[in-house]
Amino acid sequence: MADHFTTADVARQLDDCTFCPKMCRHACPVSTTTGRESLIPQAKMDRLNKLVHDQEPWRPDTTESLWACTGCRHCTVYCDHDNEPGLVLLSGRAEANKRGAGHPALAGYGERFRARDQRLAADARERFGAEAFASTGAIGFWPGCDSLDKGTADVAAAQAVFERLGLGPVPLVDAGLACAGYPLLAAGLPDEFRWHAGKVATALRRFQTIVIGCSACRHAITALYQGEGISVGTTVVSIAEFLATHADKLPAPATKKRVHYHDPCYLARSAGVIEEPRRVLGQVADVREFAWSGVDTECCGGGGLLPKTMPAVADAMARRRLAELAAQGGGIVATACGTCALMLRRNAPDGVEVSDLATAVANLTDTPFTPPAAPADEP
Amino acid sequence: MTLELAGALAAVVGADHVRPIPGQPALAVTPGSPTELADVVRITADAGAAVVPVGAGFRAARVRGLGERRRVHLSSERLDQVVQLDETSMLCHAQAGLTGAALEKILAPRGLSLGDYPPGILGSSLGGLIGVRTPGKSSARHGFFEEAVAGLSAVLADGRTIHTRVAPRRSTGPDLARALCGSEGTIGYITAAVLRLHRRPEARLLAAYVLPSVDAAIAAAFLALREECAPAGLRIVDATEARLHFPDAGLADGQALLVACTAGPTDLAACDRDLIASAVAAEGGAAADLGLAERWWRRRLGTEPTPEPSPGFQASAGPGQLTAAYHAIRRAVPTARLHVSRFDLDGAVVFATLVDDRGDALAGDALTATVARAEAAATAAGAWLLGARPTALDPYLKALRAQLDPRGVMNPGALTES
Amino acid sequence: MVADADRVRRELEGIVGPRRVSVRPGDLDTYARDMWPRLLLARRAGATPTMLPTAVVWPETVREVAAIVRMARNLGVPIIPYGGGSGVCGGVVPRFGGITIDTKRMAALRGIRASDQVVDVEAGLSGERFERELTRRGYTFGNFPSSIYCSTVGGWLATRAAGQLSTKYGKVEDRVAGLTLVTGTGEVVDTDGPRRAIGGPDWTQLVLGSEGTLGIITSARLRLSPAPQLKVLRGFEVDNVAAGVEALRRVLQRGLKPAVVRLYDELDTFVNSFGHHHHDAAAAELRHTHAPVPLPGEGALPPLPPPPRATDDDGPLERLLGMVRKARHGLRGDAFTAVLDRPRLINRVVGTVAEKIARKGCKLIIGLEGARLRTEVEAALTFAELERAGARDQGEEPGRAWLARRYAVSYKMSPVFRDGAFVDTMEVATSWATLLDLYHSVRAALGKHAMVMAHFSHAYPEGCSIYFTFAAHAPDRAASERLYDTIWKDGLEAATRVGATISHHHGVGMLRAPYMAGEHREAMAILTALKHSFDPDDVMNPGKLGLAARRWEAR
Repeated sequence: MADHFTTADVARQLDDCTFCPKMCRHACPVSTTTGRESLIPQAKMDRLNKLVHDQEPWRPDTTESLWACTGCRHCTVYCDHDNEPGLVLLSGRAEANKRGAGHPALAGYGERFRARDQRLAADARERFGAEAFASTGAIGFWPGCDSLDKGTADVAAAQAVFERLGLGPVPLVDAGLACAGYPLLAAGLPDEFRWHAGKVATALRRFQTIVIGCSACRHAITALYQGEGISVGTTVVSIAEFLATHADKLPAPATKKRVHYHDPCYLARSAGVIEEPRRVLGQVADVREFAWSGVDTECCGGGGLLPKTMPAVADAMARRRLAELAAQGGGIVATACGTCALMLRRNAPDGVEVSDLATAVANLTDTPFTPPAAPADEP
Repeated sequence: MTLELAGALAAVVGADHVRPIPGQPALAVTPGSPTELADVVRITADAGAAVVPVGAGFRAARVRGLGERRRVHLSSERLDQVVQLDETSMLCHAQAGLTGAALEKILAPRGLSLGDYPPGILGSSLGGLIGVRTPGKSSARHGFFEEAVAGLSAVLADGRTIHTRVAPRRSTGPDLARALCGSEGTIGYITAAVLRLHRRPEARLLAAYVLPSVDAAIAAAFLALREECAPAGLRIVDATEARLHFPDAGLADGQALLVACTAGPTDLAACDRDLIASAVAAEGGAAADLGLAERWWRRRLGTEPTPEPSPGFQASAGPGQLTAAYHAIRRAVPTARLHVSRFDLDGAVVFATLVDDRGDALAGDALTATVARAEAAATAAGAWLLGARPTALDPYLKALRAQLDPRGVMNPGALTES
Repeated sequence: MVADADRVRRELEGIVGPRRVSVRPGDLDTYARDMWPRLLLARRAGATPTMLPTAVVWPETVREVAAIVRMARNLGVPIIPYGGGSGVCGGVVPRFGGITIDTKRMAALRGIRASDQVVDVEAGLSGERFERELTRRGYTFGNFPSSIYCSTVGGWLATRAAGQLSTKYGKVEDRVAGLTLVTGTGEVVDTDGPRRAIGGPDWTQLVLGSEGTLGIITSARLRLSPAPQLKVLRGFEVDNVAAGVEALRRVLQRGLKPAVVRLYDELDTFVNSFGHHHHDAAAAELRHTHAPVPLPGEGALPPLPPPPRATDDDGPLERLLGMVRKARHGLRGDAFTAVLDRPRLINRVVGTVAEKIARKGCKLIIGLEGARLRTEVEAALTFAELERAGARDQGEEPGRAWLARRYAVSYKMSPVFRDGAFVDTMEVATSWATLLDLYHSVRAALGKHAMVMAHFSHAYPEGCSIYFTFAAHAPDRAASERLYDTIWKDGLEAATRVGATISHHHGVGMLRAPYMAGEHREAMAILTALKHSFDPDDVMNPGKLGLAARRWEAR
């Protein structure tokens, strides 16, 4: 594999894309959903190539397409050049910010991120109670910000499943933080990312094993942190991998319901976690595949801060992902990422029920769990 | 005046080859070369007359709507040469007046052939075969006859001759030769064609089967075709027709006889025959006397006479509509003799011989009424009748003809809204 | 150049709403080109396109398309249909500005009629997605061009495309039951109907290949085959091109229809036999499932290259780095272009090495697929026929290796352009009797200016297609464009001289427009008449297919 983190290689990637007959384009979910040719990976990279060569000025209107990517890596599956458009475009975003040409919807994002992160951590403490948290231990649970925001029932379900598997109560990581920081990188703020990552790493280091509910968090912590010189030193696994090691302890129901599994991009194509969630789900359900699944999974639209920069497109991507199931008359979808669960749930057509992996396991094994009460100030 | 026109034409083709046609303001003209033909068209156009194409097997066109306008019945009869036979590429460049049958006679000693097309259609001149489209000009092995055309030469209304380039396939815009195929001379008068040839097959295998119903037989045929069977001929004969042509098959009412010929390299021909056999078995049929198939093939080739033919009727339908079309025609004319043939993946043709309950041919008013009933039934069942045309694109055809033929010279009576 | 751009935008928004129209420079720039290599020469030199559309619109229904065409006709604005923009001839370049209609929001696979094995599909659907959906349902359309990842069904139909398996399944024009198109008058027409029963021209065949000049295809009914039950692949070796061609002719004329037929000439065989990375499936799988991980300190994000500076400004460190970079990468590039600067020599030298020293002969890849029983029989007959013709069986492996890398050639374009050279392909076809003449004439014509490789594929009982790949180099953009045009002129004139066709499946676009008169001669009258009948106001992709564009040229 080429070393993707040198200027020479990035220059090569930009040129390879510029001159390529756009072999990857059918895979890009953003361009396929919108039909827009200027949003295919080749066009986005070509645009960045022009900017880098000073053939175009750095302005919000010329840098617009740099933001039209969720980092899903589907393009790389069809790239023989060994290119990483998603990654290079993030660098483009950082450069755009440096030159004052950032995305208008992300003005002051660093501050907004911090505020949200603290609010979610505080709300979680209220909902679950201080006793649900720990700052050290054998295993810690890090659900991810989207789960703490809109999927607290999933968190409760996960904990119920952990108990059912004889793992005892698994505490939530007590750090006053909810997110591992990937959105900061997606916003083109690598310095803020480094700073935030340091704080997260400090908190995680105190556990022997960390179980993560969000696929982007898992990727950030296990892959991106080390580039910034931050090591966690702890075993970090996704909840899918964690449950898979205990899958045989799950009780098999008398009849298995049909459940489609949606691979989160950051698990399937960034971390190679494809078989484990199926092993877990297969214990309790009749697992069905989307037409495009596994290494070909189609993005829910939740990555790359697309829900902030192109919200209509992000939602359309989620709808498109589920259209196949809707055309079959509906069904149940399980996924193993808090962000995927949020995006798919929000855009689920009639007849399609979306579930987090742990919640699906809980429901299918009749494991009771209590969604936590809302904090006092919520309607 | 016609005399003046006749004189001008005689100067080109010779007086022997210009004859007035009694009872019409028409001349029969038979040029001896494509150059002469082009001159004839030009002279005819300049004189404000119309060109009506005639050739062997090409019925003198229903010359409608011309009133007293002078016309030249232009025959390709004397354009009967093989210009070039390219045995390396299996292509034959032949003039359009040559009949399919005559060409086959020339090719046979070299072990070549136009292919397994129904011999009955080969009585036409090549120009007629290509210029007039009927569903029967089809072969399961080779496709529709037009697909045998690799290149065409034709004379346009202004006397220009065009030649389309010969190449196996191209991406150089629309397939311009297709403007001429099926256009009945309205776009151009075809003077020569380059046709794809086939080698005499190494093996020919015949087989006959009896099936419990026509539906089962049709299902079996398409089952085999979907397994990529490419028979040289396949026919389904219903009980009424079998009683006359295949009495020894002993078909009961409702049963059907399926006869087939497969051809090609021996193993492939045998494989195709086996595919038909398994398809038949899957539909509840069983093998029948080989002699039945042999008789069918001999009659098809014309080496054995067929019992008295009678006025007929045909309708073509796609695979999804074929069974319904057959039953609709059967219901409309309970005494008719029916068979289904000209199979390919696009469908097949139902042929009906219209006879009364004594087996005598229908005639006069009875015939007209029966044909009308059969046509209505077939159309209602989703079939297409001979000569039926969708008219949605007629404005474009009209515009195309107006562009190429502003004076309305080329067979103006054909292909118009009735 | 064209009617007021703002007026155009407003009219379009009146039809599709504000979100599916764009006049943004970034969009206009993207839609100004397809994959015509000549356009890349300009891009590489940093030039911006001179022929831009006035606006881009994304209709979702055929009714919207019709309204757009009618509006364009009234306003006097051209219409350019755009599918995947993967064409290699410049067919989508807006010569006179106009409205680019992107079909990709009409991408539904509407349904399959199982009784007829016909699928109803919208034009904007990507080829790969189309084929995968068919496979899921047990069918195949059988069209696998090397652009399947980036082309649309509509684009295939507009250009008469061919895929790698066309020897069995035919080109696309052999498998169309009907088309829906919006003509240049803004009318919606269907060309469906049982072809055999209809008197008059076969409209489907007259619209296929019209490259947007008669109308815009919005959907089609296409004939399917059942998904193959059996696939067989094999490699053979023959002594030389003539022997290989003869072997293929015998197979095809025996009535056999292999799906894949690829005969590589000596140079192509030789070049491919080394420097050809074997497909490491495990490494590929790892790349696809794992994102690259930065080394500690490299940063979470890769560093962008600095903007290029004049070398005078480079300090000693920069210059040293530049030399190191060049040594690692550029030197190879320089050597490559140095080689290409002497094409005659290189063709001769490498050709001699290939033929006389390496003696690898010519590689022949054969594949068959289809219904199990018949395919087995056909395969046995095909291999026996090839061996009788002197071909030597090399087993399955060469066939499998080809399949694993079947689309790889498309990725080779980038390194060549990066290195300052250019590469393009020329596919021509003719009858067997003329085929070797065609091969030698075109090869000689191209070989004066470029390194040339060739393979024979898309075979028929009466003839075959030849696919030439050529690479050349010139010092700057202007010289490159001149050289490019000369290569094409010499190559196509050589093809026309021996009686071959100038394009087997890539189409005409702008590239071959000047050669259409030579290709069709007097028959151009029919094309011109078709144009007038379908598009009396010359709105549809004017100035393409060698048709005059008098209305627009005057401006």
